[in-house]
Parts: sequence; structure tokens; C-alpha cells
Amino acid sequence: MPESAEHITCQEVVELVTAYLETVLPADEAGLFEQHLNFCDGCIWYVEQMRATVATVGRISEDDVPPETREKLLTAFREWKRS
Amino acid sequence: MAPHAEVENRLPIASSEEAELVTRLRAGDERAFEGLVETYHGTMLAVARTYVKSRAVAEEVVQDAWVGVLKGLDRFEGRSSLKTWILRIVVNTAMTRGGREARSVPFSSLVAEDEDPAVAVERFRGPDGGFPGHWAGYPSDWRSLPEQALVGRETLDVVKRAIEELPVAQKTVITLRDIQGCDAEEVCAALEVSDGNQRVLLHRARSHVRAALERHFDA
Repeated sequence: MPESAEHITCQEVVELVTAYLETVLPADEAGLFEQHLNFCDGCIWYVEQMRATVATVGRISEDDVPPETREKLLTAFREWKRS
Repeated sequence: MAPHAEVENRLPIASSEEAELVTRLRAGDERAFEGLVETYHGTMLAVARTYVKSRAVAEEVVQDAWVGVLKGLDRFEGRSSLKTWILRIVVNTAMTRGGREARSVPFSSLVAEDEDPAVAVERFRGPDGGFPGHWAGYPSDWRSLPEQALVGRETLDVVKRAIEELPVAQKTVITLRDIQGCDAEEVCAALEVSDGNQRVLLHRARSHVRAALERHFDA
């Protein structure tokens, strides 16, 4: 059987991709992962899609602190300073 | 290659910049406090929102947490990073709030055991033909999309909606990691989840958002 320990399937790639991008895959699994990408365009594109997804999520902007909240917190800070 | 390094129990400790910042705060430096608020308020709100149901209550929790930060500042010893210490205060404030607004369960219990795959099984070849477990049809190459596709407002709305749909634990982790820019260790420490659980949640969340983007681009 070709699908023994020595290679991983596309279906496995899509579940390992986060660990791969976080660089926490054990060396042997990372090796199999990269070996798979060497011959599978579909998975190269999938990994790219995940990278693009992370980048796109990162474009959502954080809300600025509303001025009234900032004022309230500064007041709390001044009170804390006095106590 | 070196064996896989285990980072499970290593918590980030306060940096020298943070130690200096704490000194300025203790001395009553308002600029330093304003900077602290700018840096952490959004992240604190993101954490609080996962513990209480409404935004209004989350904002109250964060304001209470700021008071907690001020009260605790003299006792801060730098054994964790300032960020981790502040986020722990938010979590504790949210958890002790009580009443019907609180989601009074520990975060770790929110790691559901659902086994939804990152990509639907129908997308892969079954066990009967050749190449089982390989793509039945390739996903598309997003690098060939027009340049504006990934950064347009419509795309961002798709992403925001997909994140809103997520179960709370996944929503928290993807918000902290990919919007607020926290690292894995900080998220684990703030939410008291293991490194493995943090990654499972992040994986499910990112996979869900990717699938939403795919539906959007392929439509």
C-alpha cells in the first residue's frame, strides 16, 4: 500500500496545516508535510489560502478606545494616584 | 534537525521595557497609563466579550478590570508578562461577576469535542478509487485573484461574519491571535488552556473562515 507511514494525504494536510504554520510539527511530520507539497499543487494552494486567510483576518481593525472611556479611566488613574 | 521542542509550560515573563513601564505607572505617569490603555483595551474587551453576553456588560467588566490592574500594580512582580497579567485580571473579573450575564464556566470546558473536518469529506477521493484522501478537485489558487479581492470591504465583511458565527472559544482564540496579535503562549496563559487546545481552537476557527472566503471567491 502506498499510503503507509511514508506519506500523508491531502485530507491529512488540511488538518495539519495550522500546526505546520505554527512550526510545532515534529520534524518527521514536518518532513512528510513538505514532501507532500513537493508534488501536490492543490495542497500548495490550500496552504496559501490559509496564509491569506490569516492575513485577511489580521486586517480587521481594532476599535479605538472611545474618548469617554479614556476620560473615565484617566479619572480612575488620578484617583488611584491620590490614594 | 533537533527534536520537537516542548514549550507547553513556558510562560513569557515581563520584559525590561515592561518593568520600566510599571515603574512609570507606579510613579503616576499619565502618559504611560494612556499608552497602556491604547495598547490593551481592545484585547481586554475581546477577552471580556467571550465571557459575558452583551457588549455593554463586557465594557463594564473591562473598566472594573482596569481598576483591578491599578489596585494590583504595586504587587506586580513581573513573573508573567504585563499583558498576560492584565488578561488574567480581565478573565477573573468576568468570571466573578456572577448573575445571569456571566458565562460562569471555565474556558477550558468550552473546547467542544466536535469532529468537523477542516474541509468537507466530499472534497476528497473516497476509499474505492485511486488516491484515496487526495483532492477530488483542487482548491483554487488565490494568488491569481485580482489584487483587490483579499483586501476589499466586502471580503472583510465575509470574514467578520464568519468569525461572528464561531463558537465562543474559537472566536476568542482567533480574535486574540489573528486580530489582536497575541502569541500562543499569551493566549494559553490568559485563557488557561493547554497549548494543544489553543491550537485546535485556532485551527477550527481559521478553517471556518477560510471556507467562508472560498465560498465567497468561488461564487
